[in-house]
Amino acid sequence: MADHLSPSLLRAIFAIVWKDLRAEFRSFELVSAMLVFSLLVILIFNFALELDIKTRQSVTAGVLWSTFAFAGTLGLNRSMAIEKDRGSLDGLLLAPVDRSAIYFGKFISNLTFMTLVEIIVLPIYSILYNTNLFQPGLLMVILLGSIGYTAVGTLLAAMSVQTRTRDVLLPILLFPVAFSVLLAAVKASGGFLNNSELTDILLPINLLIAYDIIFIAVSFMVFDTVVEE
Amino acid sequence: MFFQEPIPDTSGYMIAGYAIAFIVMSLYVASLYLRNRNLNRDVEMLEEMEKATTGLETNQPKKPTKTVTKRGRKIQS
Amino acid sequence: MKSKPTTLKILDVFSILVLGTAAYLALVVAPTERVMGNVQRVFYFHVGTAWTALLGFIFAAVLSVIYLVTKDRKWDRIQVAAIEVSLVFFFITIVLGSIWARPVWNTWWTWDPRLTTATITELIYIAYFMLRQGIDDPDRRARFGAVYALLGGLSAPITFFAIRLFRTIHPVVIAGSNPEADGSFSMTGDMLSVFFFALFTFTVIFIDLFWNRIRLGDLQEKVEQLKLKVTM
Repeated sequence: MADHLSPSLLRAIFAIVWKDLRAEFRSFELVSAMLVFSLLVILIFNFALELDIKTRQSVTAGVLWSTFAFAGTLGLNRSMAIEKDRGSLDGLLLAPVDRSAIYFGKFISNLTFMTLVEIIVLPIYSILYNTNLFQPGLLMVILLGSIGYTAVGTLLAAMSVQTRTRDVLLPILLFPVAFSVLLAAVKASGGFLNNSELTDILLPINLLIAYDIIFIAVSFMVFDTVVEE
Repeated sequence: MFFQEPIPDTSGYMIAGYAIAFIVMSLYVASLYLRNRNLNRDVEMLEEMEKATTGLETNQPKKPTKTVTKRGRKIQS
Repeated sequence: MKSKPTTLKILDVFSILVLGTAAYLALVVAPTERVMGNVQRVFYFHVGTAWTALLGFIFAAVLSVIYLVTKDRKWDRIQVAAIEVSLVFFFITIVLGSIWARPVWNTWWTWDPRLTTATITELIYIAYFMLRQGIDDPDRRARFGAVYALLGGLSAPITFFAIRLFRTIHPVVIAGSNPEADGSFSMTGDMLSVFFFALFTFTVIFIDLFWNRIRLGDLQEKVEQLKLKVTM
């Protein structure tokens, strides 16, 4: 599985990411599941909310982020479960690699899958709802939000996959903790979509960046204790 | 201005609030007490069981064979 | 099982006395607020429980770090105690807040930032117990609990600062002015003293319950050890 992992941290991270990407591109099981799920969620919101065009604009940010959050959970769960079930997590742990490489590797591959899904969902949502979602500000917020969400999600998925309740536990653990990220992301997204004053949007964006840094830092520091036997 | 608005009577809410505060705290104290009592009973029962098993060990007639080494310690038989 | 230390027995009694006094002060002695009437008295207990609970959650996060460094499960038991008591207190905070809101804001609930983050915080610590429940190995349980409490502790301060960061209808009573805050009132001298006494009261009660809960945890540990011995 892990051929010739050099002790260098960056190379180890890259190897893990590459392993995940390669595996995914063979089967597409993760991304396709997340994608189909996202579309279904958008469909459900469409029926559930039944809004006129104007009100739809105001809920776009919320609907988008709810979709991303749910789909993200799916990806995080599967990504970790695959590792555990195939035994590759143990393999990684035995390799002469700094544990933080495992964290960053999984974090980056999870993030890649999540953003891949988001990139596909955005044009679909734009077409279905006749709004242009391809604004640079919004895209940046989506990236920042996904970073924070995946950063803490990877850590929590590593924990929940080791419990008795497994899949069910991840949303319970993740949503309250990632809530602040999601809240800031929704506020910032809404700000860009409504063309608010930049000074208004700056606050949630700063919050997002702060959270990203905090979550990445804390997650990578404690990841070791979470995967040790 | 001679006319002053009377202070609204929100005492009902006040009573509800204090009642809930006291009830919740009492429930918690009760839960602590009950759990304590159950655990103490468990301790008693387990200590009795422990005495019984060590009693059994010392009362057993000598087994014919082994002095088994378990974790480097010899077990008396 | 060691019998209850005298200090704790005294603390138990003291807690009850102090609680009674605080209730008397808040219900009888404190002046009635002019605009919202008697429901304002709920505020003394609301803030009392809120402060102690939030400090409890932050304290639990500190305990997380201590446990992760020392790997001594004693700190895990202390953490569980801190979180459990804080959870109960914060629940009281939220309910009391809702009761206060009904006559003043004309609604039992509103999804303004502070209330939302308060609910989220409570949910985090409920999730903490659900996480622990799903793990059989005590060391892993302690480790995972510590990690999650640490993450949770990062959210508690945000609850407090959310009021200053986002516009909200929740009153700011301690410094800072928010003209849009509905239900603000300025505290008179008498109210202030009762307020501080209530803070003191809930700190005392917290410590009392916390200490009792730690002893319960120690007792649980003893039972586990005995079970292992007996089934050997």
